[in-house]
Formats: sequence, structure tokens, C-alpha cells
Amino acid sequence: MNIRRLKDNISSRLMLAATVFACLLFFSMLIGLYIRARPILSLVPISDLLFSSVWGPSDGKFGFLPFIMGTLWVTGLATIIAVPISLLSSIYLSEYAGNSLRNAVKPLIDLLAGIPSVVYGLWGVLAVVPFIKNTLAPALGVETIGGYGVLAGGIVLSIMVFPIIISVTGEVLRSVTQDMREVSLSLGATKRQTIKHVVLRKARPGIFAAIVLGFSRAFGETMAVLMVVGNVPKVPASVFDPAYPLPALIANTFGEMMSIPLYDSAILLAALMLLIVVLIFNILARMVLIKIEKGVI
Amino acid sequence: MSEIHIEIDNVNAYYNGNHALKNISVKIQKKQITAIIGPSGCGKSTLLKCMNRLIDLTDGVTYSGKILIDNEDIFARKTDIVNIRKKMGLLAQKPIPLPMSIYENIAYGPKIHGTKKKSDLDAIVEKYLKLVGLWEEVKGRLNSPASQLSLGQQQRLCLARGLAVEPEIILCDEPTSALDPVSSQHIEQQLLKLKKDYTIVIVTHNIHQAMRLADYVIHLYLGELVEHGLANEVFENPKEERTRAYINGIFSPDLKIDSEENLKGKMCPYNFVYAKQALHNLEDGKILKIIVDDPLAVTEVPRGMEADGHKVLIVKQINKKDWEIVIQK
Ligand SMILES: Nc1ncnc2c1ncn2[C@@H]1O[C@H](COP(=O)(O)OP(=O)(O)O)[C@@H](O)[C@H]1O
Ligand SMILES: [Mg+2]
Repeated sequence: MNIRRLKDNISSRLMLAATVFACLLFFSMLIGLYIRARPILSLVPISDLLFSSVWGPSDGKFGFLPFIMGTLWVTGLATIIAVPISLLSSIYLSEYAGNSLRNAVKPLIDLLAGIPSVVYGLWGVLAVVPFIKNTLAPALGVETIGGYGVLAGGIVLSIMVFPIIISVTGEVLRSVTQDMREVSLSLGATKRQTIKHVVLRKARPGIFAAIVLGFSRAFGETMAVLMVVGNVPKVPASVFDPAYPLPALIANTFGEMMSIPLYDSAILLAALMLLIVVLIFNILARMVLIKIEKGVI
Repeated sequence: MSEIHIEIDNVNAYYNGNHALKNISVKIQKKQITAIIGPSGCGKSTLLKCMNRLIDLTDGVTYSGKILIDNEDIFARKTDIVNIRKKMGLLAQKPIPLPMSIYENIAYGPKIHGTKKKSDLDAIVEKYLKLVGLWEEVKGRLNSPASQLSLGQQQRLCLARGLAVEPEIILCDEPTSALDPVSSQHIEQQLLKLKKDYTIVIVTHNIHQAMRLADYVIHLYLGELVEHGLANEVFENPKEERTRAYINGIFSPDLKIDSEENLKGKMCPYNFVYAKQALHNLEDGKILKIIVDDPLAVTEVPRGMEADGHKVLIVKQINKKDWEIVIQK
């Protein structure tokens, strides 16, 4: 066997080994979490865990509903704020803006994606929370606990998912070929009609994937949210209420829970739930994106 | 008697300074087929895109001059280009179905221009699918995605879609270059039929296609208009040496035919068997030309030959029924 073939062989095997290692790591995490969460799963019925809103670890009460709802509220609000704004801006960037503007904005958006989440959290505490406390809440006549709550979390998170949705949507819109636009225009459609009926239609699965990716980032985000949502384990009733999302629960309580029976098992169950949900979202979005790349959709 | 439909007057076009069209002035007759011919890169597509101003979509392009359609200057600032485009159907190089169903592809244009009633749209869809001879093939699956049709069917769908906005002009940019011979023939026949109602401008680098279809010819070379006029005159007796060279160059490619076989009247697969027999008697590298008239042979013989490891050099239609296939062993 000649030396080049040998090298080829070795390097492909190394890469295979690395891939297998990464996959194993992931599965060992999944299995590890499951094993540690099993005590609580075997003692408390799963319906109680998911649908009870009583959280009293020292009394042996582990209702995750406040945390699940907290996560859903904050993530949902963030998505509601982020989706229209980021879709409009990526449509503007890819369909209307000139090349120079597009080239100037792109690195800026990439930069936004790279800012550590604790910085967003600080910005939330220093700017968003006071704004809600001093301006918005009084103007609407609602009570808040110092401005902390779902709204602050939603705003901060939405800004963190902008870059993902904008850049993935931008890619997807650019993958719609120019001749598709030409067809529509040649039939006498205006630019707006062309974008609405043809470009967005063609890009729809990809935009869906972009939103799901953004959503799953928002779902698992910890630090920034934890700093501004108030962290009260109660099911929120409005966006001005505080919330306590799952990642915040894990980050806040891990380490101080060892003395209470089942507490650590409960927290690891929370981690397992997060992991599975984010995993499902990601797989969904990737599947759609891969199909688009292959030209199936 | 002849009437001018499109008047191109001293048009120049530049891509970032690259002079792609040079002082083009030519008149295009109403309800006739005008073929724009010339080697690739000579500006055929650019000229076509000027006529519907799709050229506006290209970055860094500038143009000047006038194009009058029904005496309206489409380059003028005050002209509503959306209305102008409605007058012109476009058939592109490869079929580009819109990302929707067969039905919606046809209904898209009429809907945009204000036809709302379902029954009206149904009638339009049926009328134009029938016009391009696609109705029987697709009437049972109007709601399935247009992308599921074969390429040839897709191109006919695109033709129907363009016709559904009731244009006066059909612009075609090498409309058959992505299609198999049978589908190409189908499109050509459609165009010949449509000529009685529409002005047709077809870009083609296939000179035989131009001969089969065109009433008038425009020959471009490196962005210049070399010659234009009645197709018969240009093809039979070109005034310009460059036109003569172009036509001859394409006519006699440097191929030495070693053997010829007339397989007219032979059905598939016998024509294939005969062709194989003829090849068998030749040495490697030698060239065989066969003439067939069975439409199936036009796709099947080349496919079979390539599967057998021979090289298919030319497949072209030489008259209404006959095709020439040139194969190298
Ligand atoms: N989008 C473009 N940007 C820059 N140059 C172009 C573009 N399209 C065409 N050209 C140039 O303009 C000339 C004419 O092109 P085109 O009209 O497409 O030729 P044809 O259709 O005859 O092959 C060519 O030299 C080509 O390189
Ligand atoms: Mg071209």
C-alpha cells in the first residue's frame, strides 16, 4: 500500500474517531442525566412533576409547572418580539438594501451573536429593568417587582436571538434564485408582490427553521434571563409578573441542594427536560435546512 | 402590410463599464418570429432583458437609447414598467416553475392583475393548459407541485403561465436548451402555432432552430448588430462575411463521417440494433451517422449508445420528421 493511501486512511479514521467521541459524549450526558433523575421519576408520578405548581423541596413537593410555564412565557414573548423584527430586517437586507449596506451590517450582526450572555444580562439590569419600572409600568398602571419579570426577560432574550434568525433567514432568502424573481416580475408583478408570493413562499420552510433555531437558543439561555426575570417560582399571569425559567432554576440552586432528599434528582430532571426539548428543536430545524440545501424543498 | 411592434433605437448597455450592446437599432415585426442568433456572450440575453427591463435587476448595469413598444418608450422614466412587463411573456432557458401548484402557477399572473373569481381562474387555467397541450396530462393533478412535472412539461407550463397574463409579445431565451429533443420539438411547434396571435422574439444559439422557426433574423456578434433581415435571405445569402462564417461554422463542424446508415422507417429497438451492428463493423474512434424518424429513437438510441460506452456527438433535427445522430465508437 502506498504512503498516500495510508495517510488518507489514517486521517479518515481519526476523523471518524473524533465524531464517534463527540456522539458518545452527548449520549453519556443524556444517560447520566437520566440515571441521576431516576430516583425522583420513580417516586413522584410524572404527571405531578409536570403539572403540579407546588414547589417545596423541603416538604418533598416537586411541581415543575411554574418553571415550565416561566420558560414558555419568557421564550414565547422573546419569540413574539424577535420574529417580526428580525424577519423584516432580513427581508430588507436581502431584497432592498444595496450591497454596501448589506456588507456593513453583516459583521455587526455576527458581532451581536458573539457578545457573552452576561453582558446582555447587565444591559437588561441597567437599562431594560429600570425602563419597565420607572416608565412603562407607571404609564400602564401596573405593578411590578422592581421592573424584573417576564417582559424584561423577553426583551433581553429577543435581542439575543435576533442575530440567529436574521442570519439564517438571510441565507435562506439568498438561496432563492434570481430567475425565480425574474419570472414573477416578468408576469407583471410588483417587487412587493414578488417578495410576498414567491420569495417568501419559497423560503417558508427555511424561515421556519430559522425561527425554531432562535427559539431553541432562547429556550436554553440562562445567564441573561436569570439576571432580569425575578426568579419567583410561581406561574406567571401576565408579562409584568416575575418568572423562574428552568435554566435559571438549575443555575441558581445547583450546589446548595445536597442536604434535601431528592432535590438534586429534581434539578437533574430539569436539565434532562431542557436538553431533550432543545435537542428536538435543533434536529427539526436542521432537518429542514438540510432538505433545503439538497433542493428537496 | 407588415407592422412594427418593437422598435429598438440606438441601444447601448454596459455591465460595470463592459460594453455589452453597441448602438443596436432594429425593428421587430408584429406577429412574426424573430430569432436573435450569435455565439454565446454576444449580448443576446442582454438585448432580450432590455426589452422587458429585467436588466434593471442586475447590479452595476447602465443602458441608454430607446425601445419603443406600441410607441411607448420603455426606457423612459415615466413609463410604468410593471404594465410593460404584463405585455410580454418570458420563457427562460430552463423551466422555472414558481414554488406552488400547477394550478397556482397559471393563476398567479391573472390573480395579481385582479382576477379574483374562482370560476374565472378555473377557466383561464384550463384554456392555457389546453393551448400548450398540457391539459390532458395534468388535469387530474392540478394541485400537485409544479416541480413534480418533467422538464419538458414544466417548460410548457411556463409558456402557459406567461400566456395567461394575455401578453402581446413572447420573449424566449434559449427556451429549449435544457430540454430533450422531443420536448424541444414540442415547444417549437407551440411557438409556430402561437405566431398568428403573438409577436415572438427567440434567442437561440442553435442555428437550425432559427431556420425552422424564424421569419426574421438578428445576428449579434460581440455586442454589435452584424446583420438583420428576412430569415430566408440571411440564411441563404448573407450580406455580411461574419454572418456567413457563423452559419457555415455551425453547419460543417470538423467531423469526418466514416459511415452512414439510414434507419428511417425502423422502429425502436430495431434502429438501435442496426446502429449497433453498423458500429460493430467500424474501428474504435470512427464516426457513424444515422438518420432516424422514430421519436422514441431520438432519446433512446443516444442513451443506449452512451450506456454501451460510445460517444454521442450530435443529436439534431434535420427536417420535420428526421433526426440525425452522430456517434463515435
Ligand atoms: N450580470 C452580468 N454582469 C456582468 N457582465 C455580464 C452579466 N451578464 C452578461 N454579462 C456580459 O455581457 C456580455 C453579453 O452577455 P449575454 O447577453 O448574456 O450574452 P449571450 O446571451 O449572447 O450569451 C458577455 O460578455 C457577458 O460576460
Ligand atoms: Mg444568454
